[in-house]
Amino acid sequence: MSDIACRELCKTFHQGGETITALDHVSLDIEEGSFVCLFGPSGSGKTTLLNALGGLDTPDSGAITVGGQRLDGLSRGELADLRLHNIGFVFQAYNLITVLTARENVEFIMQVQGVPAGERRALATRVLEEVGLAGLEGRRPGELSGGQQQRVAVARAIATSPALVLADEPTANLDSRSAAQLMDLFVTLNKERGVTFVISTHDARVMGYARRLIGMRDGLIVSDEQQQPHAMDV
Amino acid sequence: MNVTWVLAWRNLWRHRRRTWLTVAAMVFSNILLIFLVSLQLGSYQMMIDGSLAAFTGHIQIQHRDYHEQQHMYQDVPAVVDLATRVRALPGVEAASARAEAFALASSAERSFGILLTGVQPRFEPAVSTFPGKLREGRYLRDGDEQAIVIGAVLAQNLKVAVGDELTFLGSGRDGSFAAGVATVIGIIDSGLEEVDRSMAQVPLGWFQQVFAMGDAGHAVVVRAPSVDQVQATASALRSQPAPTGELVVLDWETLVPGLRQAIQSDMTSAWFTYGVLVVLVAFGVLNTQLMSVLERTREFGVMLALGMSPGRLARLVGIETLLLAGLGLGLGLVGGGLLSWYLSVAGFIYPGVEEMMERFMLGGRIYPEVSAVSMLIGPAAVFVGAMLAALYPALRLFRLRPVAAMQVA
Amino acid sequence: MSLPLAALGTLAWRNLWRNHRRTLIMLAAIAIGVWAMIFMAALMRGMTDQMVRNGLQTLPGELQLHQRDYRRDPSVVNSMEPPAGELLQVLQSAPVAGWAGRVRVPAVISSERGSRSVTLLGIDPEAEQALGSLPEDLFEGRGLEGKGDRGLVIGASLARRLETALGKRVVIMSQDPDNNVAERGARVVGIYRGRLQGDEDRFVYAGRAAVQELLGIGQQISEIAVSGNDYRRVDEWYPRIAAAAGSGLETLTWTELDPFLGSMLAVQDGFTLVFMVVVFLALSFGLVNTLVMAIFERVREIGLMQALGMRPGLILGQIMLESLFLLCLGLVAGNLLAVLTIAPLASGIDISSVAQGMEMMGMSATLYPALHVQDMLMSTAVVIILGLLASLAPAWRASRLDPVAALTRD
Ligand SMILES: Nc1ncnc2c1ncn2[C@@H]1O[C@H](COP(=O)(O)OP(=O)(O)OP(=O)(O)O)[C@@H](O)[C@H]1O
Ligand SMILES: [Mg+2]
Repeated sequence: MSDIACRELCKTFHQGGETITALDHVSLDIEEGSFVCLFGPSGSGKTTLLNALGGLDTPDSGAITVGGQRLDGLSRGELADLRLHNIGFVFQAYNLITVLTARENVEFIMQVQGVPAGERRALATRVLEEVGLAGLEGRRPGELSGGQQQRVAVARAIATSPALVLADEPTANLDSRSAAQLMDLFVTLNKERGVTFVISTHDARVMGYARRLIGMRDGLIVSDEQQQPHAMDV
Repeated sequence: MNVTWVLAWRNLWRHRRRTWLTVAAMVFSNILLIFLVSLQLGSYQMMIDGSLAAFTGHIQIQHRDYHEQQHMYQDVPAVVDLATRVRALPGVEAASARAEAFALASSAERSFGILLTGVQPRFEPAVSTFPGKLREGRYLRDGDEQAIVIGAVLAQNLKVAVGDELTFLGSGRDGSFAAGVATVIGIIDSGLEEVDRSMAQVPLGWFQQVFAMGDAGHAVVVRAPSVDQVQATASALRSQPAPTGELVVLDWETLVPGLRQAIQSDMTSAWFTYGVLVVLVAFGVLNTQLMSVLERTREFGVMLALGMSPGRLARLVGIETLLLAGLGLGLGLVGGGLLSWYLSVAGFIYPGVEEMMERFMLGGRIYPEVSAVSMLIGPAAVFVGAMLAALYPALRLFRLRPVAAMQVA
Repeated sequence: MSLPLAALGTLAWRNLWRNHRRTLIMLAAIAIGVWAMIFMAALMRGMTDQMVRNGLQTLPGELQLHQRDYRRDPSVVNSMEPPAGELLQVLQSAPVAGWAGRVRVPAVISSERGSRSVTLLGIDPEAEQALGSLPEDLFEGRGLEGKGDRGLVIGASLARRLETALGKRVVIMSQDPDNNVAERGARVVGIYRGRLQGDEDRFVYAGRAAVQELLGIGQQISEIAVSGNDYRRVDEWYPRIAAAAGSGLETLTWTELDPFLGSMLAVQDGFTLVFMVVVFLALSFGLVNTLVMAIFERVREIGLMQALGMRPGLILGQIMLESLFLLCLGLVAGNLLAVLTIAPLASGIDISSVAQGMEMMGMSATLYPALHVQDMLMSTAVVIILGLLASLAPAWRASRLDPVAALTRD
């Protein structure tokens, strides 16, 4: 389902008379069950690419297929449904809905999906425990540390069993201990559930976890290699 | 220009949408208030003019008990002479003598009770609009005798037309039996059913003969140049040496107390409406200014830390509110002024309430009164309300502690 | 797809209290607005109700029957026979609560000191009781004691103007069917205070048989007044009576008899609605502003929800729910406030300082604000419908936010 294919993606931004090419004819295939890291200097187009893959942003030209489904031509609502059921997002920060507790944040998307209350509750408890947050379910985001917040976001992303998780610099705001824990969590989920991960990062230690490393610069893919993953030293 | 003012002005536009919405609320209320107040004042003016011009006049000189008791013998001696003298006084536009009696009017087929008025045919049209509402025949002339003009409904009830004869019976000034026969020479259709049902006018001289009044009458009806000048004219009349001690000068507020009170009771509900509008706008401003202060807590904290006094910050918020309210005031005045001015030319009709309007002498269109009062009273209240609303947000600044404020996310 | 209302509801409710000061201020504004709507409506309804009731007692009845030509030519000539047969049957059955046949003629009343033209009413006091048409406040003397009573009951103001008093004789003059002056001396047996001063001057009451005898019209009467005790529902039973009355008689409801009175209800409803809408419009700026601010503060969160897969419709629904909660809370507070402030006024507001002005409008010196469920519902409808309409624009904008731009907003 999570086979991703993009062909000739282009995206430009215009700012103050200047044209910025954020994606320059990017073509890319990612198989189901991959663990991919995007890296590259700031402004190289990582976020733009992730947003395009998740259907948050539409490229100027080119085609994206996620799990056999062409994204171009889908309405906003259909894109939303695709994300709701198949794709999980984890951002650098501000991942959570501030007025909801950790448990409610996890349950919220399932509730929108229409999962029955009992099932929802059980699942939320389980995934929160899985990400190491047992006992903190009732706290609101403001009462959690940055790392804990990120783990709630991950719990939320995996609770609905998406085939694909897109994570944009998920560790940027975390100390190295929390970052390592988060990455271990990702690896476990990837191995045990076959969830595809596409993670953008500046952090060399995060890159170590990836089985495939894609380098970007000025909107172009400049390197793409397989590697033997190795966990970071804490 | 002062830097504080520039800063205040820029701050205002940090949230364009919010500022415009707040200004729009003020403009809306201001336009509405200007419209309502000028309409209200305009219709009062018309109510007063219409009611008084119809029959009562602005001022009447009567026997001091006549207004209360209306007895035939409570009269004004030498009423025609008095009217002539009054007419010559400054501040008097017109004056006419009248005498009144209740009588039973009979035609060949029918009888009805009427209010018979003896009038001076030459001067009556200058104090009353009834003679002008003639539908058939002609109005009375000097020298007419045994002639009568009657209201249209009365004519219908009595089954008489112009040229028919009417007999009327009543009692004279001395209580004696009084009777007369007159030919209907005109029929008046004032549009007011109550009046057209009972009104009848005959020449004063003949009235005096029939009802044994001698040279007396019951009132000298006076018209001042305008309603506003009634008080001046009335005091001028009061300062004249009276021919007898029994006479009084009554202005319209005494003659038709219901009119002023109808206006007052209408005003009460109008003030309620205006008050509600102003309060609601003030709440809007309170909300906006409180938000704008709260969201700048951190910034204010820094300013305090840099040594700015809370007073200066409060002043800044005050100036911001002043600019905001000023904007609402200016735009509201322009909008409301244009609307009222247009309506004061084109007129305004309340749809569907014709019967009600007629009862208050407001036939057809109302022309709003555009004046400094009608333009400024509402917007000024909104302005003051807005400034008061800013007090709470501004005063909060005095409780602000720099360190705590800077830690606010 | 069913709307996950519970999820949106929790979210909307919590979001409402994120900025509790702003919410409370807006709530207060809505509550005051709603209070004003209902309070004004209650005052208006009190006024109209009183005007209509006073008017109906003067008319009297919600329905009147006359001889065909009577209204065009209100003379004793156009009298009618008392009801019989089918008409009598209908008049004596429900929903008619009371009816009375009366003689109504123009007359002149004279004392030694003056004369006035009046309306002479020849009545059957018992029958009038059911119509509530007799003056309630007998100031001096006694009321009429049956239709044969030969005395007169006159208004206090008329007595003053005629300088007559209880027990004195006056002369009443009217016209018989042959247009001869019919004249009779009668004793003033009662003096009443009317609801309106105009009534005191105008209406003189006498026993019906005595008036019929004076005018020489046998058993004939001028009008039949009918009441069903609810002026709003006349139209339901009016056709039955009209049919029984036949074509020789004219059957008219109060709205036709007194168009001024008839227009009152519509005018009041219209005015109340206009007032409510105007108050709401003044409120709506604040409401929209509150929503715009609430959305502005959480643009990022809205972007997040979009990224999580919430359809634009759900975002819109969430904002609308938030607005709905705010409106409902304001409505509850406003309605409570209205009930609490109107209840103590139920015994009437004294407005005697403007009594004569009120009389011009057909009302008396005490105003009874009338709290009607109908007005509360109307204000609720106005606030909810217009409130949601006003919220639609900001909510729509929120649902159309570009997720990427929203997420990167700081
Ligand atoms: N909304 C926008 N308007 C204008 N330019 C934009 C916008 N979003 C992105 N860009 C530009 O597009 C280019 C790619 O941006 P992108 O956010 O994808 O980079 P990135 O690789 O994620 O960088 P970083 O590592 O700093 O997050 C940059 O030059 C950026 O300035
Ligand atoms: Mg980025």
